[in-house]
Amino acid sequence: MNRIFAVADNTFRESIRDKVLYVLLFFAAATILGSKVLGWISIGQDIKIIKDICLASMSLFGVLISIFIGTSLVYKEIDKKTLYTILAQPLHRYEFVLGKYLGLLLVLALSLLIMTGVSTVYLVMMGGVTGVIWFQAIFLIYLKLVLITAFAIFMSALVSPIMGAVIVFFLYVLGHATEVLRNLPPQFEGTASEKILEIVYFVVPNLNTFNLQSEAANNVPVASSFVIFALLYGLAWTAMLLILACLTFEGRDV
Amino acid sequence: MVAIVTHSLSKTFKSLGKASVHSVTDLNLNIEENEVFGFLGRNGAGKTTAIKLLAGLLKPTKGSAALFGVDTRLAHARSMMGYLPEHPYFYEYLTPRETIAFYGRLRGLNSKERKSEWERISELLDLRDIADRRIRGFSKGMRQRVGFAVALVGDPPLLILDEPMSGLDPLGRRMIRELILQLRDRGKTIFFSSHVLSDVEEICVRVGILVSGRLAACDRIDKLVGNTAKSVEICATGLDDLFCRKQSNFILEYEERKEGGYRLVVRDTELANILAMEINQQGGTLLSMHPVQETLEDFFARIQDSASDIALAEG
Repeated sequence: MNRIFAVADNTFRESIRDKVLYVLLFFAAATILGSKVLGWISIGQDIKIIKDICLASMSLFGVLISIFIGTSLVYKEIDKKTLYTILAQPLHRYEFVLGKYLGLLLVLALSLLIMTGVSTVYLVMMGGVTGVIWFQAIFLIYLKLVLITAFAIFMSALVSPIMGAVIVFFLYVLGHATEVLRNLPPQFEGTASEKILEIVYFVVPNLNTFNLQSEAANNVPVASSFVIFALLYGLAWTAMLLILACLTFEGRDV
Repeated sequence: MVAIVTHSLSKTFKSLGKASVHSVTDLNLNIEENEVFGFLGRNGAGKTTAIKLLAGLLKPTKGSAALFGVDTRLAHARSMMGYLPEHPYFYEYLTPRETIAFYGRLRGLNSKERKSEWERISELLDLRDIADRRIRGFSKGMRQRVGFAVALVGDPPLLILDEPMSGLDPLGRRMIRELILQLRDRGKTIFFSSHVLSDVEEICVRVGILVSGRLAACDRIDKLVGNTAKSVEICATGLDDLFCRKQSNFILEYEERKEGGYRLVVRDTELANILAMEINQQGGTLLSMHPVQETLEDFFARIQDSASDIALAEG
């Protein structure tokens, strides 16, 4: 376990030195603070719009951090040959993958904490109210990032960072559109496309499970079972993706 | 105890649409504890692949390798080994002190042990003056020192070093050479590859020579080169250039000596005796006659040539 933490600690140090992180955090803060502009357009709905934009920014910029840093984490170590001396230590390869993953989760937690702080203070300054649902929504965004990062690490052990980034972003978009795949128009009935899209529906995680944006914007509470289900759903997908990442990396020559 | 043992260790690289590359084929090695073993071969002979197989970075296609009886595929085998890659790369944003601490953590050392490990290694490799500078700005020699330091973390009984002297200036090479001897005296087993044959001759007792992925020779250096006189050298005065040219059918080479007279080289003692008589008849004076022993470099070149001849004969 200590070895996993050593790798995680190092990954955290490495990531917080990455300029991409600060560029993305700057844009996230700019979007959050700029949400007032859209609030003015929608008369009487400004707080709701600000909340909506804040949560959307956290989700989008969190995913971008996960994609940009996550998809290059393992690949970069192979490319820069830093991996040689690390894997020559009495370290299991899965420990390395998990350490890298945990390190990035720490970075994401810190980033989300900063974005939450900026959003919450801004919202209160604008006269808004943040209840439990606000923090539940942010928690689920983090859970979504936990899942996406596991997929990013899996891709990092498999393909180049650019290819990985494209695939993870595709999964992110598709994951938000799984309902569309299930409720196809009648002309798809009985066709091969319907079967293929049904398979896609089952092999792509439904990222809307983690979406409490609308409830948080309208300050509508949700049952705790909803959050628990999202938690279990997220952890199950994450565990599966991490196992795949570890197995892929285990068999790889470096 | 045997430090390294390999049985038919082989590695073939396959990639889609390309022919398979047999990088290492049926490698059988037996390296005893406390031995300094030189692993030689030309560029692309398969040395680095073989070393990566021993370090657990590559999975063998066939065969097996063990360090102190533990299969190299197991993490435990790596706890008994320190590894220096050909071009050591580390996290550029870390300092040597932080780097040693990081690798110490990977080896399961606690904070007190890591601190004492830094004291021990930094003194051995003279790292104190660069202890808190980031690796980013380091020269090749400084990186090599950090690489060596990382290989020593945890005081493993076996060191596997891939070209430890490559790219170093004469002083850097001497430092590494002395360090290897110092570590041997402390009971370590050292397995290292090198292109610098003079260094290998100086610090190794046994060598293995890899030719196209196969072990073409493996023995004590004195056994490989010691009994073979490659030629006989004769020094004589009272000769002229015309005499030397007349004997060109059995003289391999000749040159005028700065101190006077000629140095003549013939293939064997029989020819040397004939030449000595010729010199006498010519009225010259024989100063010396001695066999020229084959060096490791000569042996290395000879084994490469014979491997090429075999390859040509096989078509």
